[in-house]
Amino acid sequence: MRKRPISSSLLKLTLLVFFAVAVLLPLLRMLAYMGSTDILKVLSGAGFRKAALNSLKVGLLTTAESIPLAYALAWSITRTHLRFRGLWSVLFSLPMLIPSISQGSGLIILFGANGVLTRLLHLGGNIYGLHGIVIGEAMYVTPIAFLMFSDVLAYEDYTPYEAAQVLGIPKLRQFCAITLPFLRRPMISAVFAVFSLTVTDYGVPLTIGGKVKTLPVLMYEDVIGLLDFGKGSVIGAVLLIPAVLAFLADLCNRDSGGNSFVVRQFVIQENRLRDSLACALCAAVGIFMLLPVAAFGVLSFITNYPVDMTFTLDNIAKTLRMSGGTYLANSLLISVSAGLLGVFIATVTAYCSTRLVSPVSRLLHLFSITSMAIPGLVLGLSYVLFFKSSFLYGTIAILVLVNMIHFFASSYLMLYNTFGKFNEHLEAVGLTLGVSRLRIVWDVILPQCRGTMLEAFSYFFVNSMITISAVSFLANSVTKPVALLIPQYEAQSFLECSAFISLLILCSSLLMKAAVHLLKDAIAKQK
Amino acid sequence: MGVLMSKLSVEDLSKVYGQKTVLDHISFEVRTGEFLSILGPSGCGKTTILRLLIGLLEPTTGIIRKDGRDITACSPAERGMGIVFQNYALFENMTVQKNVEYALRFHKETRAQAAEIAAGLIRRVGLWELRGKKPGKLSGGQQQRVAIARTLALNPDIILFDEPMSALDVDTRLTLRREIKDIQREYGSTMIYITHDQEEAFAMSDRIMVMEEGRIHQIGSPEELVSQPADDYVRRFVLENLQIKAESLSRFIQVKP
Repeated sequence: MRKRPISSSLLKLTLLVFFAVAVLLPLLRMLAYMGSTDILKVLSGAGFRKAALNSLKVGLLTTAESIPLAYALAWSITRTHLRFRGLWSVLFSLPMLIPSISQGSGLIILFGANGVLTRLLHLGGNIYGLHGIVIGEAMYVTPIAFLMFSDVLAYEDYTPYEAAQVLGIPKLRQFCAITLPFLRRPMISAVFAVFSLTVTDYGVPLTIGGKVKTLPVLMYEDVIGLLDFGKGSVIGAVLLIPAVLAFLADLCNRDSGGNSFVVRQFVIQENRLRDSLACALCAAVGIFMLLPVAAFGVLSFITNYPVDMTFTLDNIAKTLRMSGGTYLANSLLISVSAGLLGVFIATVTAYCSTRLVSPVSRLLHLFSITSMAIPGLVLGLSYVLFFKSSFLYGTIAILVLVNMIHFFASSYLMLYNTFGKFNEHLEAVGLTLGVSRLRIVWDVILPQCRGTMLEAFSYFFVNSMITISAVSFLANSVTKPVALLIPQYEAQSFLECSAFISLLILCSSLLMKAAVHLLKDAIAKQK
Repeated sequence: MGVLMSKLSVEDLSKVYGQKTVLDHISFEVRTGEFLSILGPSGCGKTTILRLLIGLLEPTTGIIRKDGRDITACSPAERGMGIVFQNYALFENMTVQKNVEYALRFHKETRAQAAEIAAGLIRRVGLWELRGKKPGKLSGGQQQRVAIARTLALNPDIILFDEPMSALDVDTRLTLRREIKDIQREYGSTMIYITHDQEEAFAMSDRIMVMEEGRIHQIGSPEELVSQPADDYVRRFVLENLQIKAESLSRFIQVKP
């Protein structure tokens, strides 16, 4: 562009500095903190080695379990004549609206020593330990992999299959020659994402792990319980490895992809048996995913499970007495603020990196998605170490900031993709017509991004509502978000109250999702 | 005298990106009311010329004069030129009517005046019935007409076209070709038209500028290019064009027994 205004360079520089301060410097601070620790001693400690092995087991088992399951579900939704597809999709994404820790407590309510189903079906109540963690984590990550796969499958081109049919190539060969190569990239992305999410999560193992400790739990206990930041940062650095690997795998996959428009939609043959099997699978998984939610619903209104099973509102009153309402207000404030601030910064950043192209934009793009490579716990500890003596520490503001950064990459990428789709000459047309760039952005570009911006806002909101990782080190008794009450109540054995909190969070997320859905519909009708 | 007579005069224009010279010290003039095509393979620098002329790029060297006035340092809006892009670049969130009147609202006209001017232009390009539709609902040819009307709205005396037809089918191209020529006659605009389609250039242009690798091989009328090609490159280029014509002619003859 002619005489690029200084303001655009200044804007990009400001954003770069922002990301440096909000992401890179805190992370470097944490890595530097390891210098004052005997790293080898931590790494060779019995506790660490046991936890590392457990984490690895959990990661591998969960990935092996959830990837095929998620693929089967996505395949059922996109490649069969299954009815109520929308309903199933909503059901499968329900677990994404509650904290991972709720999955763990849900399983305990159902299958624990005094679990609802344990008593009903006379099970052993033996959910604690490695297999419990794996089931819980699978419930936490399967929906994410399902979304990834169903997105990919929905955009697969049917033309190669038609060509293969014309050439008389048998089904199995078609699968090997067309489907597998097509799936390779998304499969790699999903496997790495699922593995990294599982290995770095501490919600599920904290509740259901019992004596089986994973690395994130160890890190949590070291930092929260023992205030051993040195050991915490060593574990944090170790946890960074899978996340960075997942990030790199995704980066390599994404850059060379990108031609995702359907040439020809899939033609699904009639097959009753296949449809029934798909329906059975979806029903089984759907019910299983709904179970914890149902358990929260029931437990919240029961006097004293399992002794006194009468209906009551006492748990709600008790939660409110323990300032549950205040903490909910905290969460709502944090989530809305993170959403507004996040959407604003993501929009400006994505605009700069897509439509004010210069060598700096690549760097800006890279800076914006780095947060994807940092697990929440690691980000939280980095923030503690970096901001400890600043005015931000101990305020709601730092919780807003950490959540915004934690969930920035996905929202940013949504906007990045939307901006990239606009005609490259729009601003140039404006300039030749005597209309400024800002005016074109305001009148032409932003109105067409409203849907994406809403989607990004809802992503920030829901994730800020359900997260317990990054915020756990940064919150205090005043600023605490409501999700952190779950581990607290679990520890105090207030199971009913903890269930009620999970239910509250689910309702907030659901309401937000529904509102965004309605608004997006209204926008689509305007077109 | 030459400078005074020409609508646009370009002197020693070049554009260098790092090590790469995209435009290599070229000079040419465009006469008032002329239709000049810039013809050349992709990467020959023709789009760069257009972006330099309208001020979306800053030249490394050279002077651009319009009506004798140096406009090299002017902003795009101050140059009194319009540009029509290959992929239309319409405002997808606005109706046809709003697309055409949008820029007028920033140029002192009242809303009613802007709407009136836009309505006239929309009628002129034959889209009156579609004025309430959004671009997404229109065909490629119709969208390009909206883009032309939008450009005409500010009444530029020079209109630049950046391969405006390459995304359109043959029939639409032929119709639009005629309409662009009609508009030129009607408005007396000077048009500079970029294409890599020799047929199109030969059919529409008063003069054609043949380019390759940032340099001009020849500027001349279609007849001159055929009768006095400046060098082998132009000769091959023209010959190719004639061959295509001859081939399509022979095919035509064969099909019709």
